[in-house]
Amino acid sequence: MTTMSVASLAERLARIPKFVLFGAAALVQVALLALMIVDRVQILRDGAEVTLQTRPVDPRDFLRGDYVVLGYDITQLPAGSLQNQPSSERHPLVYVKLAPNRDGVYEALSVHASPVELASPEVLIRGRLTYGATCGPKRDLFCEKLSIRYNLESYFVPEGEGRKLEDLRNQRKLAVVAAVLPSGRAAIKRLLIDGKPVYEEPWF
Amino acid sequence: MMFDRAYRQRLEADLARWEADGVITPAALGAIRASLPPLSPGFNIAVVVAIVGGLLIAAAFLAFVAAHWIEIARLSRLAMLFAGIFIAHGLGGWFARSGQPVLADLSAAVGALIFGAAIALIGQMYHLGGDFAGGMLLWAMGALAAAALTGSRGALAVALATAVIWSWMRVFETNVPHFEFAVFWLLAAGLALAWNSRAAAHLVAVAALPWWIACSFQPNFDFRPSFVLANGAVLLFGGGLALAASASDRAARAGAVFSTYGAFSLAGVAILEATLASEFVRPPDGLVNQPLWTISCGVAGVIFAFAATAMTRRAGTAFAASAIGLVLIAVAIWTPRQSGGPWLAYAALLCAMLCLVVSGMLDAARPRIVAGWLGIAGVIAAITWAVKGSLLNRSIFLAVAGMVAVALALVLNRLMPRSRE
Repeated sequence: MTTMSVASLAERLARIPKFVLFGAAALVQVALLALMIVDRVQILRDGAEVTLQTRPVDPRDFLRGDYVVLGYDITQLPAGSLQNQPSSERHPLVYVKLAPNRDGVYEALSVHASPVELASPEVLIRGRLTYGATCGPKRDLFCEKLSIRYNLESYFVPEGEGRKLEDLRNQRKLAVVAAVLPSGRAAIKRLLIDGKPVYEEPWF
Repeated sequence: MMFDRAYRQRLEADLARWEADGVITPAALGAIRASLPPLSPGFNIAVVVAIVGGLLIAAAFLAFVAAHWIEIARLSRLAMLFAGIFIAHGLGGWFARSGQPVLADLSAAVGALIFGAAIALIGQMYHLGGDFAGGMLLWAMGALAAAALTGSRGALAVALATAVIWSWMRVFETNVPHFEFAVFWLLAAGLALAWNSRAAAHLVAVAALPWWIACSFQPNFDFRPSFVLANGAVLLFGGGLALAASASDRAARAGAVFSTYGAFSLAGVAILEATLASEFVRPPDGLVNQPLWTISCGVAGVIFAFAATAMTRRAGTAFAASAIGLVLIAVAIWTPRQSGGPWLAYAALLCAMLCLVVSGMLDAARPRIVAGWLGIAGVIAAITWAVKGSLLNRSIFLAVAGMVAVALALVLNRLMPRSRE
C-alpha cells in the first residue's frame, strides 16, 4: 500500500512542469539560507546585551585565515555543584548563569545541566561542553573543570586586521558584547577595545 | 544503462546467428526488434565536452569571486550566493524541458553543492562558525528537498553524503546512537522507491553502511562492534530480501539492490567475527549488555528473511535466510575462554557463507555468490591466522570441516538429479 501511494505521489509530481519544480528547489534552499540569517537577526534584536572579557587562547598564535579565535573568561569554568553529577552525553549542553561585576563585565556564577531561575541582572547563556563530561570510572560524570563553547568563538575580519585584534586579545584589551536570548542562545553583537565599540555587527 | 547496451549487442549477435541457422524467421526477428524499448540516450561526446566547459567556466567564476570576496559588501555577497543557486536550478529546469535529463540532474546536483558552499560562506560572514554538524544537517535537508522536487540522483547523493557526515559528527559529540539519521535515510529510501531507480537504491544502500559502522565504533565498550554490525547487516539483507519478494515491481528492484549490499555486509561481518572470536573483546556477560535496539534490528531482519522465504517459496531465499540466521547465532553465542577455541562460532560462520553461495547460485544472484566466496575465504583465513589459541587445534578443526564438506559434496552428488550429461 505504501508503494502504491509512493507511486501515485511520483505520478502527481511528474505532472507539474519541470521548471516549477526546479524553481521550488531553489526557493527551498534560499529560504533555508535566509533562515540562518533571520535566526541570527532575532538573537541580535531580542537578546540581552552581555559584555564578556576575552582572554588569550592556547596556543597563543591562533589566527587562522582571516578569523580570530576568541576565548573568554567564561570558557573555562569550575563545575561547582555539577561535579560528579551524571552527564547524558560526551559533549552535553550546559547553562551558565552570568551576572555583571562593577565594571559591567559579565562573570560566571554557576554552571547547570538545565535552565534555572534567574534574579534581576542575571543572564543565562547556553554552551556545549568541549571537555568536562567524561570523568569517573565509567567516564559519564561531570569533571571538576569544564571547557565550554558558546558559538561566540570565531570572528571573521577583513584580511590583515586579525593580527591587530589578536594582539589586543592577548593584552586583555578586547571585550565582546554578545546578545543572549532567554533560551540561552547567543551571537556576537559588537567588539570593544578598551571599552570603546569598534566593530558593530549590522543585522544583515 | 551500460548493461543495457551490452545486452543489446549480445542480443543482436544472437539474433543474427539464429536467423542464419533458421531458428527464427525474418518476421520473428523484426517482431523481436520492434518489441525492444528504445535505448536511453546516455552521454555522447558533445555532452561530455559541454560538461567540461561548464565546469571550467564555473571554476573561473568562483576563483574571480574568491579574489574579490572581502571587498564586496556583505549584502551583495549574499545576493551572489542566492543568484548562484537560482542559476544552477534555472539551468536544470531548462535542460529538463529541452529533453536533457542527465544535464538537468547534474545542474540540480551543482545547485546543491553551491547551497552547501553558501551555508559555509554565510556562516563565515555572520560569524556562525560554531555548529558544524548543524550546518551539515541544513545542507543535507536542502539537498534532499531539491532531490525530491527535481528527481536529481546527484542531489540525492549530495544529501546522503552530507547526512552521513552530520550523523558521524553527532555520534562523536553525543556518544549515543544517532537515530535521527534513520529518519533521513527512510525519506531517501522513499525517494528511491518513488523514482523506481536502481542508481538511487544503490546510493541509499551505501549510505546505510557508515551509520552502522559509526554505531559499532562508539567508545562504549559495553557492546561489541561485530555484534552491532551483524545486526545491521542482517536487517539490510533481510529487509532487502523481503522487499525483493514483494509483489510491487519497484519495491522488488530496490530490494534486490539492498539485498546485494546486505550480502556483502554479512560476509564482512562474518570475517570480522571470525577474526575477533578468539580475542578477549567478548564481554563476560554475553548478550545481557547488548543494546535492545540492536537486537531488535537483528530479530526484525531474521523475520523479514523468513517472511521472504514464505512468500517466494524459493530454496535460494531459504538458504539466504539460513545464512542470516547462522551469522546471527555465531555472533550471539558466547564461548567461554577456558573451553578452547570458538569452534561453534567458526562452524556456524563457514556454514553461513556456504549457504550464501548456494543461495546466490539458486537465485541466480551473482553478487551474492561473490559475497559468499569472499566470506568463505576471509573466514578460513581468519581461523588459520588467529592470534590466540593452539595452531594444532585449529588445523584439526579445519581438517574436520574440510572432510565434512567433501562428504557432503559426495552425498549431494548422489542425490542431485543430473541434468545434461
